[in-house]
Amino acid sequence: MVDIIAVWTAVFFTLGIYSILYRENPWYRIAESVYLGVAVGYGVSVDLLYIRNQWSGQWSASAGMMLLFAIVMVIGILWYGRFNKNTFYLYRWPLAIVVGTGIGMALRTVIFAQFLEQIVAQTKTPFFVAGNMGTTINNILIQIMVPSVLLYFWFTGTARESAPMKVVEKIARYTMMAGFGSAYGYTVLTRYSLFIGRSQFLLGIPPNDPENQLAFIAIAFIMLASMIGWDLTHKTTPEA
Amino acid sequence: MGEALKRIEIPIVLTIIATLLQVIPYYFDIPVLNSAAGTASNAVLLIVACATFVGVISILQVHGKRVQRRVEGWYFSVLVFVFVIIMVLTGLPLAEFGLGRNNPIFNWVFTNIQTPLGGTMYSILAFFITSAAVRAFKARNIEAAIVLVSGTLMVMGNAPLFTNAVPVLADISLWIRNVPNMATMRGVMIGAALGAVALAVRTLMGIERGYLRGGGEE
Amino acid sequence: MSIMEKINNLDRRIIYLLAWIFVLFPLIFPLGLPIPISSDARAWHSYVENNVNDGDTVIFSPMYGTSGMPELFPMTVATMKHLLQKDVKIVVLSFWTEGPLVFTALLRQVNPADFGYVYGVDWINLGYVPGSETAMGALATSFQNTVANDFVEGRPLSNFAIMDNIKTATDIDLIISFETGTPGASEWLRQWNTAYGVPMIVGCIGVSVPGMIPYVNSGQISALMPGLTVSAEYELLLQKPGLAVAGVDAVSTSHLLVVLLVVIGNIAYFMTRGDEK
Repeated sequence: MVDIIAVWTAVFFTLGIYSILYRENPWYRIAESVYLGVAVGYGVSVDLLYIRNQWSGQWSASAGMMLLFAIVMVIGILWYGRFNKNTFYLYRWPLAIVVGTGIGMALRTVIFAQFLEQIVAQTKTPFFVAGNMGTTINNILIQIMVPSVLLYFWFTGTARESAPMKVVEKIARYTMMAGFGSAYGYTVLTRYSLFIGRSQFLLGIPPNDPENQLAFIAIAFIMLASMIGWDLTHKTTPEA
Repeated sequence: MGEALKRIEIPIVLTIIATLLQVIPYYFDIPVLNSAAGTASNAVLLIVACATFVGVISILQVHGKRVQRRVEGWYFSVLVFVFVIIMVLTGLPLAEFGLGRNNPIFNWVFTNIQTPLGGTMYSILAFFITSAAVRAFKARNIEAAIVLVSGTLMVMGNAPLFTNAVPVLADISLWIRNVPNMATMRGVMIGAALGAVALAVRTLMGIERGYLRGGGEE
Repeated sequence: MSIMEKINNLDRRIIYLLAWIFVLFPLIFPLGLPIPISSDARAWHSYVENNVNDGDTVIFSPMYGTSGMPELFPMTVATMKHLLQKDVKIVVLSFWTEGPLVFTALLRQVNPADFGYVYGVDWINLGYVPGSETAMGALATSFQNTVANDFVEGRPLSNFAIMDNIKTATDIDLIISFETGTPGASEWLRQWNTAYGVPMIVGCIGVSVPGMIPYVNSGQISALMPGLTVSAEYELLLQKPGLAVAGVDAVSTSHLLVVLLVVIGNIAYFMTRGDEK
């Protein structure tokens, strides 16, 4: 019995979200509100468990670490200064520490990971590959396209108005448009993959519970009937 | 003293110290700094975890006002409260009292409500992208035409229906991904890395203060 | 109103209905379309097969939540099945809140014990580590200080034999990361690959693929699994068809719908544009 309730609950909330496709409606608002509450609550649970586990680890190992833990907790409480205008300035202190640490961690290797490595890879791309005309053409194109894209975002100085830069701009624009087309194609794949996964769930395709299919049909009928019935009885037409 | 504590220079100095504490030990082997950096980064993880109730309080404030003023749809805000309270209480890390992630209510709500909702929320974008395909994706000029053609070829290259019928489509989509897309992303990545370094330097110099805004002050 | 004008002003609910039909039909009535194997699937399979050696220590990281499960879960399951056929040490962890949930769901389909893996000796689950990139950097310098207890039994890491030789990033031979966004590959690259030279292979959603290609081209990412279609190809290479193979027919029909709509929409646009002029 509990399993059946679980199945029907899961299907109800899935279809509640999809009901927005017809129009804004209470089923969607229920699902959205519940999602918000559950997601926030889950995040709290996970964070509190982390704090407890950390205390049982290195932070309770010595008096010095315990004192440091207490200081860290006090700094952590300063976050809540943001809810009062008089204490808002306190909220900036833990924020500054977190932002500074994050910047430090990223800064120390971003130059290598995302700058030098890419430049090295670009310079190591050979213009000519013996016996492989396709790769040769591709490499020549890459050697033209990458600098063009980089120069496209160069806004300093007056060189941008020159005739060679106009050519570079055009190459860069066309390159980026082709790249964005690639992004569009993969976006379609991702969005439909997510929808296909949910559809497999609704249809009860293994390893999903076959009971889902009955719940899908019943709940979809009820939701659609209620929305269409409401529109007909109130003589309203949902926005196209 | 109170006014001195409110000075913006204090968080700026904290940012600089926190940044240098992570950067310097990476390039210079100074044992005491190495140890301090390790402890500091673990401390920061705890500080981040302590912020967990900020979201809860913000939500309670927003939805509390809606309930108090009885605005249209206020009862949905009551639902938000109910489920926040259920998850926070049943998810408290007190396994000795049967609470926590092994609590049956916590587990049930998460498995049968959160999981389907989370999976469904992003999947509705599939419908919007399909609607955009017929209504908005038009070859109005040459740039739009390039996006259209490369996008359509990419869509076809990702579907076995097309790549079985016309095998060269797989090669074409791979070319689009590995040449123009790669060039675009590499250029953007290098530019973004330079921008990140510039932003970090500006933050360290105290010029960039956007993250400290709010509270009705500067 | 001409038919082309009607297409230009089509009620979007009709389009949504078409999307439902084009996806549900092949799931209810499988078309059984053949799935050609791409170079991406072969590269991933080859990397796990030939570059992961017995005795290696691997981080297996589902860096996604329920929102990414439909696209990433099939490749996560398939890769775990492939990995368990070897004699490696596996450390499961995630920097996403729902990562442990994903792995719990994986355990319902794949039981490491069936492959002779003993928890705490051959594999361990460290659960969710909050703190994003900061946590990744902290973990690289010390596992024991960053993660106090394991996720399954809630005991200190020092209680588990597998952690005797896993202290820092230098003890890890490979990172396998499945991800939908941030934190993800860029953070792994900055904190582990660049800093400590740990190789990594990445499975990601389609939306993330364009941004990964420069890393693949430069060799920073050794292999890439880009989305559901390639997951299906990988399942076929392993001869273990699963959820991805079951869904690929629907990928084909849904993409057919998108292509048809783009073509029809543009024909309608050009024909009505001529009328307007």
